[in-house]
Amino acid sequence: MNKKGVEGALARGVEILDGFLPLKSWLYFPVLYSACVWAVRRVFDYRDRILAWQVWLDPEFVRTKPDEFILHFFSGDEALGREYADELTRGDLRTLRAAFPALYPIFGLEDAFLTALFKAEIESADYRGIVVEFASRTSKARDDIQPAAANPDFWKALELIGMEAASLGLHLLKDEDVQNMIIALVKKPASISPTIPPDA
Amino acid sequence: MKRKLFPVAALALVFILSGACLPHLRKAKQFYAEGQDQARVFRTAAAVASWKRALDEAECECRRKPSAQAFTIKGLAETNLGRWREAEASFLKAFSLGYEPGEAWASDVALAGLAASFEELGLEAPALRIYAQLLDKSAFKPVLMTAAEKRTNLVLARAAGLDPEEKSRTLAGLTKALDRLLDRDFACGLFHYLHAQVDGHIGDLRRSYEEAVIAHELGLPSEKISRDNDNQLIYCYDKLKETLPAAESKAFASAHSGWTKKWGWRDARTPAWKKD
Repeated sequence: MNKKGVEGALARGVEILDGFLPLKSWLYFPVLYSACVWAVRRVFDYRDRILAWQVWLDPEFVRTKPDEFILHFFSGDEALGREYADELTRGDLRTLRAAFPALYPIFGLEDAFLTALFKAEIESADYRGIVVEFASRTSKARDDIQPAAANPDFWKALELIGMEAASLGLHLLKDEDVQNMIIALVKKPASISPTIPPDA
Repeated sequence: MKRKLFPVAALALVFILSGACLPHLRKAKQFYAEGQDQARVFRTAAAVASWKRALDEAECECRRKPSAQAFTIKGLAETNLGRWREAEASFLKAFSLGYEPGEAWASDVALAGLAASFEELGLEAPALRIYAQLLDKSAFKPVLMTAAEKRTNLVLARAAGLDPEEKSRTLAGLTKALDRLLDRDFACGLFHYLHAQVDGHIGDLRRSYEEAVIAHELGLPSEKISRDNDNQLIYCYDKLKETLPAAESKAFASAHSGWTKKWGWRDARTPAWKKD
């Protein structure tokens, strides 16, 4: 495995994204990380996969889940179970149901883009922060990614970055290492603006 | 000479006019389809522009040669542009004109569009009736799948606010409707997925598990539904293991292990797409 090579491929990815998403550097990490996830799995219908998170925002999909399923979701996840222990003990389904549409796509469906978009909150175990931020941040991401998503070259470029990184042994790196590598690269260039969403 | 020329000119005029009429409907369909393609890849502005052009062409066709198909396309374009009231009127006009033999698919599409308009306008009861009608009668699979998903979601959302007895009756009715769909098309993974969801609400976790297994085997239309189906399997597995008698629980765990091995899961509760 060529770690330097992978890093080089991802650095080129950051440069390319700078061209497609000017002044939207907070999107580089989620876009590049989700491209890496699919590259490792050798799935290259990037456009559908990376934009799948937008479909997962569909409220119809989550609003009908039974109470038991929601309780199982919260109590089945160690970290969420700890955070929402009081609500679980009290059987406060109102709060759990309100948090479910934000947390289920990230922790239940494990969407790579959303996981990266809320990495800071996930790392600091600020799950309630995700619930508060979810609607505004995903809506901002949807607006900001739209112009690039309409350009077929954007997807072609992402595919090439993913394929190059995969051919150099991306799959041998730990998920955490890949995330840190991309974050370090995104932070590197002086010209790049903050890596957190403007409204966050 | 003039007399001789008149029929030829008239014929040419009829030909030109019919030629001019025909492209409006064809163009409307073409622009509408383009809009759908653009919307699928989130090119919203381009999609809206295409639907507006489809609407212009459909309106031309409706003025020149009103037909059920022309009003259906007009209604579909209006639906996508969020003009629900106009869409409702267009679909109703389409039905008043009547469809030609062989246009049953267009009639079903118009009905599904009408139901979506009703739903958006907050008229859930008539929307539900239309979806139920489509589920009984339509032979057009895309419409059938949309109607099944929409109706199931609407009924489940409504059932949440009902008292237990009423809820149980409502869910039983929904199960019967899904059973009928499966009788007609057992190979549709989406119908099994919806059945598994409803069984989960009823508390029949054994049936829910079985339906989710069949859905997994037959394939599902999207990653979203596929992952949610896997989560339903895990939920049922956990609950059944807790509640089944010891011997039965062991046999169940062994059968589950067989399926998950076949699907490449890392263990009984970890599908391949889940992180360790």
